[in-house]
Amino acid sequence: MGSLELTQGVVNAILLSGTLALVAIGFSIVWGILNIINIAHGAFIMLGAYVTYWLFTLFGIDPFLSIPLSMITLFIVGYVIQRYLINLVIRAPLLVTFLLTFALEIVIINLATFFWKGDLRSVTPAYSGAGFTIGAVQIPYVRLGAFAISLLLTGLLHVFLTYTKTGNAIRATGMDIDAARLQGVKIAQSYALTFALGSALAGAAGSLISISFPIDPTMGGAYTLRAFLICVLGGLGSIPGVMLGALLYAFIEVFSGIYAPGLKDAIALFVLVFVLIVRPTGIAGKAFYH
Amino acid sequence: MKKSGELQNSPQAASKKVARQKVLLGLVGAFVVLLAVLPLFASGFWMRTLTLLFLLAAMAEGWNFIGGYTGYAAFGNVAFFGIGAYGTALSMLRLHFPFFLALLVGAAAAMLFAVLVGLPVLRLKGHYFAIATVALATGVGEVADFWTDFTGGAAGLTLPFFHPIQLSNYFFYYIAFVLVLFGLGLTYFIMKRKLGYSWLAIREDEDAAKMMGINTTWSKVVAFALSALMAGLAGGIYAYWNTFVLAEEVFKIEYTLQMILATVLGGPGTVFGPFIGAFIYYILITLLVFFLPVGQLHATILGLIIILVMVFTPQGVMDFLSGRKRLTLSALLENIRTHKV
Amino acid sequence: MKRSFQILLAMLMIAAVVLAACGKSGGEKQAAGGGQQGGEKCVITFGAAVSLTGKYAKEGEYVKNGYNLYVEQINKQGGIKVGNKTCEVALKIYDDESNADRSAQLVEKLITEDHVQFLLGPYGSGNTYATTAIAEKYQVPMVEANGAATKIFKRGFKYSFAVLTPAPYYLRGIIDMALDADPNIKTVAIVAENGAFALEVAQGAKDYAEEKGLQVVYFDKYTKNTKDVSSLITAIKAKKPDILLGAGHLQDTLLIVKQAKDLNVSPKVFGFSVGPTAPEFRKALGKDADYIVGGAQWTPELKIQSDDVFGTPQKFAELYEAKYGEVPPYQAAESAAALIAYQKAIEAAGSLDKDKVRDALASLDYMSFYGRLKFNEQGMNVYKPMAVMQNYPDGKLYTVWPKEAATKPFIYPFKPWDQR
Repeated sequence: MGSLELTQGVVNAILLSGTLALVAIGFSIVWGILNIINIAHGAFIMLGAYVTYWLFTLFGIDPFLSIPLSMITLFIVGYVIQRYLINLVIRAPLLVTFLLTFALEIVIINLATFFWKGDLRSVTPAYSGAGFTIGAVQIPYVRLGAFAISLLLTGLLHVFLTYTKTGNAIRATGMDIDAARLQGVKIAQSYALTFALGSALAGAAGSLISISFPIDPTMGGAYTLRAFLICVLGGLGSIPGVMLGALLYAFIEVFSGIYAPGLKDAIALFVLVFVLIVRPTGIAGKAFYH
Repeated sequence: MKKSGELQNSPQAASKKVARQKVLLGLVGAFVVLLAVLPLFASGFWMRTLTLLFLLAAMAEGWNFIGGYTGYAAFGNVAFFGIGAYGTALSMLRLHFPFFLALLVGAAAAMLFAVLVGLPVLRLKGHYFAIATVALATGVGEVADFWTDFTGGAAGLTLPFFHPIQLSNYFFYYIAFVLVLFGLGLTYFIMKRKLGYSWLAIREDEDAAKMMGINTTWSKVVAFALSALMAGLAGGIYAYWNTFVLAEEVFKIEYTLQMILATVLGGPGTVFGPFIGAFIYYILITLLVFFLPVGQLHATILGLIIILVMVFTPQGVMDFLSGRKRLTLSALLENIRTHKV
Repeated sequence: MKRSFQILLAMLMIAAVVLAACGKSGGEKQAAGGGQQGGEKCVITFGAAVSLTGKYAKEGEYVKNGYNLYVEQINKQGGIKVGNKTCEVALKIYDDESNADRSAQLVEKLITEDHVQFLLGPYGSGNTYATTAIAEKYQVPMVEANGAATKIFKRGFKYSFAVLTPAPYYLRGIIDMALDADPNIKTVAIVAENGAFALEVAQGAKDYAEEKGLQVVYFDKYTKNTKDVSSLITAIKAKKPDILLGAGHLQDTLLIVKQAKDLNVSPKVFGFSVGPTAPEFRKALGKDADYIVGGAQWTPELKIQSDDVFGTPQKFAELYEAKYGEVPPYQAAESAAALIAYQKAIEAAGSLDKDKVRDALASLDYMSFYGRLKFNEQGMNVYKPMAVMQNYPDGKLYTVWPKEAATKPFIYPFKPWDQR
């Protein structure tokens, strides 16, 4: 194996881990606080990608600048879905919410295909593909930008959950719903806010993905699975855990991609099962959000 | 998943329950007779639709063991279907086994896999168990897709046609039908035995079950292996019926979702629930595709139906069909009252 | 109790009625179909299950457009000649949702309930596997145009035919063209999607490259529906191949180009089996599509004169653009060609008898606007060469190979990303 492959692989993995952390973090807070496996998470990512695509194509808005708009859109979508749909069955058994979000995914993808067709689309700003080199290692600006924004948003989320009243209410709901209610937290609203936050982060991830990868209505499924894996690898319930999981996953994916491209997912999946068996709460597992 | 109706134990309730079961049994009997004579009238299209429906019902019956009765949210049962399909196909092609022997080999391979992965994975709980099973199924599918020398890889395996070809529709229809009946019988048999009670005990409270002296590990692994048996047999039949095996087809996660959906729709943890659920689900989507002029929006309608079912009757329609509950508006709304925040 | 009884009974009855009615209505249709043969008005119905939703929705749409365009044109002429009368052509298309189970179910419906006389193919090798087996079971001919894996045809089926050039030939044109442009080319890297069709394309290219004395420095496959191939590109970058060939579908093709640009991988010839010739390729990549070449089953520039309904590729393109507003992709042309194969076979047979038409298909040899239509004993069309098209910097696609059909010269070498 050449040293170029190795160093380029390390750089790729680190850059990828940023986007993947953002993909997984929204999934993680919904899972950790609402105890919902949101199968539709990938569909929200897809919607975020399309917001960026349309703003770029119709109005020429720079894809990085459209991230806030994509987040606001998905925040509203997420809020409405949780408040008026998922909240109705939130205390039902695990299977019910699982199938409900699965059905949501079907509906969203089908409607997206219906209105936007199955076409593959790409966001191609002038600087796409541009980058700089250090030695022989290539660093594309777009991926570096995506990495930085992912870190920024993850940091902001941490600040929000730790230092704001609403953030504390959300975390309290995740820890002990009855105690939170006694403290005056409006549970239904707090749940809706959490889900909306998760969706908004999915939207941001979608925007970033649309700059580096072609998009289509069915793109989300692969990201839902990755979000799953990252949460479990890193352990549910902490932001650093998700980031660690994303980094680990990115390395597995990139390097199995270099040496056994066809078995990329299989390797990641078997590592996951192994980790689960050895440490059922993940590598850095803790309960809830601290 | 808790069944409120099942644990009533006053004598009155018990006799009522027995009477209810008799009626239900009679109706299902009539239904079974109808399906048995159907090939005399049905077109090839309906034969195919029902054959696939039966395979789905058989997988749902299998899933019911682990997911419905034992309460473990297994999301990777398609792995057993795929292993059954590959086991059968490879035995026929490489070892030149006759179909029925090959089918048993496929099912045995699926059960063996279930036992081997079940021992570690069944220690996990809740979401973690669910994801470990998803991961295993996806991983096994990829290995089958990639391991070209052994499985034929992405180019797939092709099997010979059933001979005589004029009878093949009937052959696969009846063999799939028999599999469904076998599943019903097996469920009924087990649920009258200690094993069945141990599953229910695990579902209600696993720690308590353990303290009562139930070997929970053994019970869970058996439940998992029996669900693998059903899915493995279904997979083997599917392989020979379609005359080809492709990893991306026989390991697709849609099958897992369909078997869960069928079970949940009919009523998890009931004998007839998975079968009735599979019937309702599959006939419904077939009718939707062919008889509702919705352009390319049938997936949306399917999704909306699932959403409505989950919101209004997540215990399955069995509650209503068996008369445990009356089908009224308030019964439908009751679910929302119980589960909302 | 009573209520539950009623519900279950109702369910039983609905099921019985639905099933019986469907079986019956099918029977009636059959009788009606038989009657039509003797009557004045005669209709030939072709049936197909095509992906209109799901992962092959886009390609499926091209296929459907191709079928429809043919039907529209032939009916303008009155229809297909069968013996001494002319029969109108009708088309029955269902959406198979890019799902092989659904595809099989639909074809079974087309045969046993809709009683279509002849079958057309779906999109993609997976669904073609499933549906050819059913056509064979009922001994109904199926001429398909969009499943190029040779394995489909190695099962000894008698009723399946494919008008398109089989998978192993897809990339040969690009290799020939590259060697023609620069005899000093030494190395080639080949990547393939892990799928029946793509693997055969890649293997065919590898065998051919080695036969031509090239060194295959990289040969690997990647997961289907992959979202990231940067690892693969990184590995290829280290090998510095002269030619980079990709075998897969449009989606992976776009991904490979984007990430090759990100990682500044610039081979001298950059080509794919499928993708660069689709209108979407340019739409999705913009200027980045420049110089990339793709194998094409057919291009609108080919110089062919035929006596079919379209006459020339140019005429087909003109009609297609007028109706659908874009340059026709080859999937549309080959789909239309499947119907032309039927037309010529039916004319030759002078009958709508399934076996007679099947025999006529087996001995068909006809030059259509799409190219030569002739099947070997397995039912594959190995007689038609593949063309190569290049995305020119002026934003258009031109045929650059074979030389006699070329509308523009092949631009060699590929302009490196960092010099643009």
